[in-house]
Amino acid sequence: MADLSKDEVKSLGRAVGLDIDEPLLTEVTYNLNALRELLDSVNPPGLDQLEPLPIVPPHERLAHEPG
Amino acid sequence: MNQADIPFLSATALGELIRQHDISPVEVTEAYLERIDAIDGTLHSYITVCRQEALQAARAAEQELARGEYRGPLHGVPYAVKDQFWTKGLLTTGGSTILGDFVPNEDATVVARLRAAGAVLLGKLNMSEFATGNSVHHPYGTPHNPWDLRRNPGTSSSGSGAATAAFLCATSLGEDTGGSIRNPANNCGLVGIRPTWGSVSRYGMLGACWSMDIGGPISRTVEDCALTLQAIAGYDPRDPYTAQRAVPDYRAGLTGDIKGQRIGVIKEAVEADFLQPQVQAAVMQAIADLGTLGATIVEVSLPILPSAAAVTRAILAVESATLHHDWIRTRLRDYDHNVQIDFLTGAILPAQLYYKAQQLRELTRHQVFAALQQADVLALPGSSEPAPLLPTGPGIQSKEDARQRMAGRRSFTGVFNLANVPALCVPCGFVSVNGKDLPIGLQLAGKPFADGLLLQVAHAYEQSTTWHTRRPPIA
Repeated sequence: MADLSKDEVKSLGRAVGLDIDEPLLTEVTYNLNALRELLDSVNPPGLDQLEPLPIVPPHERLAHEPG
Repeated sequence: MNQADIPFLSATALGELIRQHDISPVEVTEAYLERIDAIDGTLHSYITVCRQEALQAARAAEQELARGEYRGPLHGVPYAVKDQFWTKGLLTTGGSTILGDFVPNEDATVVARLRAAGAVLLGKLNMSEFATGNSVHHPYGTPHNPWDLRRNPGTSSSGSGAATAAFLCATSLGEDTGGSIRNPANNCGLVGIRPTWGSVSRYGMLGACWSMDIGGPISRTVEDCALTLQAIAGYDPRDPYTAQRAVPDYRAGLTGDIKGQRIGVIKEAVEADFLQPQVQAAVMQAIADLGTLGATIVEVSLPILPSAAAVTRAILAVESATLHHDWIRTRLRDYDHNVQIDFLTGAILPAQLYYKAQQLRELTRHQVFAALQQADVLALPGSSEPAPLLPTGPGIQSKEDARQRMAGRRSFTGVFNLANVPALCVPCGFVSVNGKDLPIGLQLAGKPFADGLLLQVAHAYEQSTTWHTRRPPIA
């Protein structure tokens, strides 16, 4: 996965209504590219078949569930 | 008893002396307030000390006890809470100037429960800004580690760690999203438990990452930790994700008997190449000691563990940026520099990466639960190192610098907040660094709602050692 450039990161910011300027822009670019790289490198077998279930496992009773 | 000796008693011992009328809550509170005045100018563990309110509560406790209206083992015992929890009529800053004038009109549930237990609130403890853990600038003073003032007491419940270790409160509350109770416990030689998510109410707690946040005790002994958790745990209709389960008697399990308990040593943690050799040796010795106490030691594997810090960081970044949506757009420069970077990163992280992080989170749960089929309790270091030096400045210098901050020791704690299982850190020794002895911790994790078992195992270990009896130089 190629690193995003600072211009691309700035565009991402604009897409959500944020104007990211220096010196933050450089550091946010480092941070975002590091996180992208780390997540991109983790591809255990079967991950595509895994759904991100709710954080409370189904067998646990939530306070607001009936019964 | 000499008033100067009072703060060095455990919360459990103080509670018993108060119950027997051998000591007054007012005496105890005055002793802590004097000690805070003498030491905290150096430590900066407190943001707000509520002297008048504390003495008033202590007098009320004294009068209740005189009338025979005993509330329980924390009646009259002074405590402090991370400034992340609402306290009625008391400033609650979240460690930020953005909330520099926020005075809640009600208590957080955990504070209300401690008040109902008769405990005496001494004040609000310092913390990393909005519990993010990465802030460098502390507008209310930088907390220092009582074991070595140049070092970090651990984030983000840094004031809770510093104050409890320096005997500036009998027990305290912190909050743990990615390790923020366990890290200060490790760095300050304390016992801290991240309870099972859903076992302690988050009502009235400033959020960091809603799906991983939970408050819990940081104490000097396992029994004090159990006592404090007992007071705060339980269903709360104001937090819809609290479980409708009876709260067990956490102290009843502190028998010293752990025969037959299976302790699963996490291979990827104890063999990590970034784990300091002295820490590894101490943790392995602690695990061996558990074996001597009758537990069975097995090896387990969590292949996802090395990635847990990055997964935690992705989820935390997005969820905290969402919580701070408006202020990021209107008051960005009022945050600490590192917090600005974290929030902006979370605001623009591509959705598919967040989705992948949640898939990896589910995978983490699967692996942790599979390990907990082979063992009753998982064991690993609390951190890869003792308390590091306080950071000298904010900012990220390179992509590699950023990567380092999302890896390493943070995975040791991150793996359990992702799985939402309870995890506890208990002192297991000291490491000598430049002539100073720095504490280190053993981390234990268990099945959901097995917090009592963790306390039981930790207590058995603690009672076979003297680590918890040592005092930092500032004491």
